[in-house]
Amino acid sequence: MVRSALSLADLAERHRPELLAYLVRFLGDEHDAQDVCQETFLRAHRAFARLRPDSNSRAWLYRIATRSALNTLRRRSRIVARRVDIDLDDLPARVTASGEQRIQLAAVTTAVGGLPPRQRAALMLRQFHGLAYAEIAATLGGNEAGARANVYQAIKKLRAALGGLTP
Amino acid sequence: MTREMTRHDDQIIAMLLGDAPASPALEAWLRSPAGRRELTAYRQALGAFTRLYGAIRVPRPRPTAYYCVISSPIGRVLVAATEGGLVRVSFRRSEASFVAELRERLAVEVLPSPAKTARIVHQLRAYFAGERRRFDIEIDFRHVTSFQRRVLLAATQVPAGQVVSYGEIARRIGRPGGSRAVGQALGHNPVPIVVPCHRVVAAGGALGGYTGGLDIKRKLLRIEGALAATG
Repeated sequence: MVRSALSLADLAERHRPELLAYLVRFLGDEHDAQDVCQETFLRAHRAFARLRPDSNSRAWLYRIATRSALNTLRRRSRIVARRVDIDLDDLPARVTASGEQRIQLAAVTTAVGGLPPRQRAALMLRQFHGLAYAEIAATLGGNEAGARANVYQAIKKLRAALGGLTP
Repeated sequence: MTREMTRHDDQIIAMLLGDAPASPALEAWLRSPAGRRELTAYRQALGAFTRLYGAIRVPRPRPTAYYCVISSPIGRVLVAATEGGLVRVSFRRSEASFVAELRERLAVEVLPSPAKTARIVHQLRAYFAGERRRFDIEIDFRHVTSFQRRVLLAATQVPAGQVVSYGEIARRIGRPGGSRAVGQALGHNPVPIVVPCHRVVAAGGALGGYTGGLDIKRKLLRIEGALAATG
């Protein structure tokens, strides 16, 4: 393989941590995230020859990861209800200090788990992974306005679901 | 709480995400009781979400094993290496099961990489072409037991073109009478060919067993000249 740009092994080393973080947030399950991350790089390997050296390889990896994750959710939804569960006991104590906060956070995970997968993906990509709307569009398909609409819809739904939070 | 004024929602979100500054009209509305309530609700929702999902424990990426599939006179051979060295040589038919086994047994991420496996692939090709008699490559033995490691190291001392018995390996590692255990350890050799367990045979001239099947064992011994070409 003769490429002047980075090899896939280099890309994997560079981007795997953030992709894994994204997949944990998106899928809500560490084990599934590991599996999808592995699948992402095997798929990326098969498609790597078609990746143009000047293209945005990071967004390309997010796209493959998202598609793999959506496939996993589809498979999973046939077996169990489509849900995203975050184990609150896995979180740092500063986040779950009080019982009241735990109740709030449980409401957040329920609300996030109830989002349509594409909105959830768009929200995570925008808030935690620094992808621009154009990159989110490239990841999820559709155009920039659609990507923005997905993020905004997700936030509106969170706001509606969490409307009763105590100040 | 019933919600009105939804036409302001997009503008509030745009402002909170930093996508667009608040217009004078929005600013005016945000000073109203309804506006203040909405802004607070959005801030809380977005804040709670960001706090929670920002604090998620992200698993540390596992180390990577790189692999490559090569065709050879004995069929397809799959090889895998970590930063620590060669971890697998396999005659498995299925690439997917090879990958699955690596992930499960070694707790690694697996990635095809001709570049990261070039050294071993080059040496294997030379070996199959009859141009190389021994391998010069690091082997990652972290995943084998200490007994198995001793057996495997003893097997690497058997030069190409020769064979020894299981009992002889047992003697060499100081376990006379342990030929059965030696056979088992060699049967689970993670890096056949490179650790030449095919050079270890049953006493009395029978070939014994082989992970990849006796046909492969026979072919390897022929390549090395330890068996007659017609043998």
